[in-house]
Amino acid sequence: MTAVEALPRPAEQGLKLSTRYGLLGALLIAPTVLIFCAVIVYPLVSAIYLSLFSIYTPTLKGRWVGLGNYADLLASGEFWNALGVNLIWTAGTLVLQLVAGVALALLLHQNIVFRSLARSLILFPYFMSTVVAVLVWRWLFNDLYGILNHAMMWTGLLSMPLDWLGRMPNAMISVILVGAWKYFPFVVISVLARLQTIPDHLYEAATMDGAGRWARFTDITLPQLREVLFIVILLRAIWDFKEFDLIYLMTGGGPVTSTMTLPLLVYKQAFALNEMGGASAVAVLMMIVMLGFMVLYFRTGRTAEN
Amino acid sequence: MTIRNLNNSPTGLTRRSALAVTGGALTAGALSRATSAQGAVTLRWWSPQSVPAQLAAYKLQIETFEAANPGIKVVFEPTSDETYAAQLAAAFASGQVPNIVTHLPSFAVGNYWRSGLLEPFNDVIQMVGPEKFYPGANRIYEVEPGVFAGAGIGGTAANSLWLRTDLMKKAGIAEAPKTWDELRTAARKMQGGGIYGAPLPYARNSMTTLIFICFIHLAGGQVFTPDLQVAIDSPETLNALEFYKSMRELCPPGATSYSWGESLTAFVSGATATGIYTGRVLANVNAQNPSIKDSITCTTYPSISASVPSWTFNDFPSMFIPKAAKDMGATKKFAAHIYAPEGYIKQLHAAPGHVLPVLKTIADDPKYQDNPIIAKYANEVKIMAAASAGGFNLGFESAKHKPNAKAGEVVNSAVIAEMVQRVCLNNEDPKKIVGETAQRIEKIVKG
Repeated sequence: MTAVEALPRPAEQGLKLSTRYGLLGALLIAPTVLIFCAVIVYPLVSAIYLSLFSIYTPTLKGRWVGLGNYADLLASGEFWNALGVNLIWTAGTLVLQLVAGVALALLLHQNIVFRSLARSLILFPYFMSTVVAVLVWRWLFNDLYGILNHAMMWTGLLSMPLDWLGRMPNAMISVILVGAWKYFPFVVISVLARLQTIPDHLYEAATMDGAGRWARFTDITLPQLREVLFIVILLRAIWDFKEFDLIYLMTGGGPVTSTMTLPLLVYKQAFALNEMGGASAVAVLMMIVMLGFMVLYFRTGRTAEN
Repeated sequence: MTIRNLNNSPTGLTRRSALAVTGGALTAGALSRATSAQGAVTLRWWSPQSVPAQLAAYKLQIETFEAANPGIKVVFEPTSDETYAAQLAAAFASGQVPNIVTHLPSFAVGNYWRSGLLEPFNDVIQMVGPEKFYPGANRIYEVEPGVFAGAGIGGTAANSLWLRTDLMKKAGIAEAPKTWDELRTAARKMQGGGIYGAPLPYARNSMTTLIFICFIHLAGGQVFTPDLQVAIDSPETLNALEFYKSMRELCPPGATSYSWGESLTAFVSGATATGIYTGRVLANVNAQNPSIKDSITCTTYPSISASVPSWTFNDFPSMFIPKAAKDMGATKKFAAHIYAPEGYIKQLHAAPGHVLPVLKTIADDPKYQDNPIIAKYANEVKIMAAASAGGFNLGFESAKHKPNAKAGEVVNSAVIAEMVQRVCLNNEDPKKIVGETAQRIEKIVKG
């Protein structure tokens, strides 16, 4: 018997080679599919399922209310107010992060003194725990002992301490500023990495053609950064939209509900009012809103590219 | 105090049940030996009271218990007044509950009991000795005749009015204010030179809610009627809001985000002439700002007029055991151990006058009296103890009120704090806002 003859034929095995390959493929991707189902599909389906019930959080017992939670939310001003606040926070902090991030990345791309040290230090806010960062900022903003008020009063900018976190629009401006400070290093490192790959000859050619600094920035740097900025904006918009800890620790959603974003509303529904069903409904609506914005963003990006 | 024995078993023992009991005992014994051998019995203890001196007292209580009960380990896990509700809700929902929870307000206990989440506390009270508690100390926890959902671990007078006698003298104020008009006038006179009149909270948090509930009562009003109908929409609430708003200019600008810690620090640091807090002020002033330690005193908080009696907010710091807690026998034993004189006195001395004893045997104990702060401020401690004894909270607004199981959710929802902010900070129409708040509370009550 030759070696070839010794090989089992597909017919003998009962399965065709293509079928066996298909099964092997399914077997190989099964772990990925299982993990995907466990970490994405299951929580998503659970959230949607929970949102159809009125559930008391500590006992997780409840009754079927169908779309009642959604109807209540959409009819209440609280959801729309939180959505509006969420959009203001996201847009405000994202714009500041981008402006500060690109500006700092451009600066750190120059041949400046202590560039390596500066590049390391710039990451400091991003690495710092949010709780620690908020504690520090709350002390800086403190009316009685905060250095910000003392400095502004000492320089004559203020005659009385400013209430940074308890009045509007100060509270929103403060959380936007702290959010931008905390997260702009992500923009810096992303943009800086891309800046280092832009060929120098592009700038040299532009300079020879008489292009000034601004023209070189708008005609070379920005177009080169477009792809990385597209991703950075996408990621940061998602992360900022669902930001919870920084805002919760800074203002708790106040004054009144002026900084009450959707994630804080989810928390309030789930743990202050013990309404897990209502909280899940907010979370599902939040996901739909975010999905809508992302679709819009991708379409706009594709149109611009075309 | 009549305590129902919840462990009564039927008398006739069948062969099957005897076998089951024997089998169970053998299994439990084997398991117990196994877990002891592995040192696996770990009790988790949660409390929002966790300043360093209190942690030292807890350490002593844990060490003495562990020494007397080899194989059992106790781990202390701090929570906070602002976050315990969320943490416990998550713990109950996940089944990962602590064994013992202490120092939460009494209304939280009632709420959890009605949801079937707590173990009856009768066994622990029996172990401590019911006769040792002050008469009526645990009435608030008696959820059914003879059944206790928890027990008091202390008493507080959370809205005591703290005063700087040196500043009063300087401003020509001879007596502690008794009415709101007198308080406002005094605060105005003492304000100046970097010192504000009062540290009242105007934030969107539980302190603002709890303190403003005091003001509603100090105006002669109530949040709920004795049979728990919403009663916040009243002229008394409007009067309280009017006064509270008028005090805004006498409070630091940052009072709009004050919680208990900030309000306490404002008085202790000397930034305000009056304070509103428990007896923790005594220890903190002596430790952190001794320059004013001879110039502080306290009294009950003034009311709208002499005809309205003062109303003290006592959150009745509690102790309870979640039903799903593991190692129930060891848990109850440790709960009773917390009241053992040596550790309990050290715990009370950690913040003298802040948490007042619920055991009369401890209050009379010379070791409890033997504390420099309690000795120095004997009059203040006496005032707070008397006020605390007659104190109430939203879970139990007066002796006529039924226990309010929805109190925790009303507090946590921040609807009352939002009402204060909208009227005092946003200058919105008080009548409209109070009406809306009443509707929102009714919605919470209906669930």
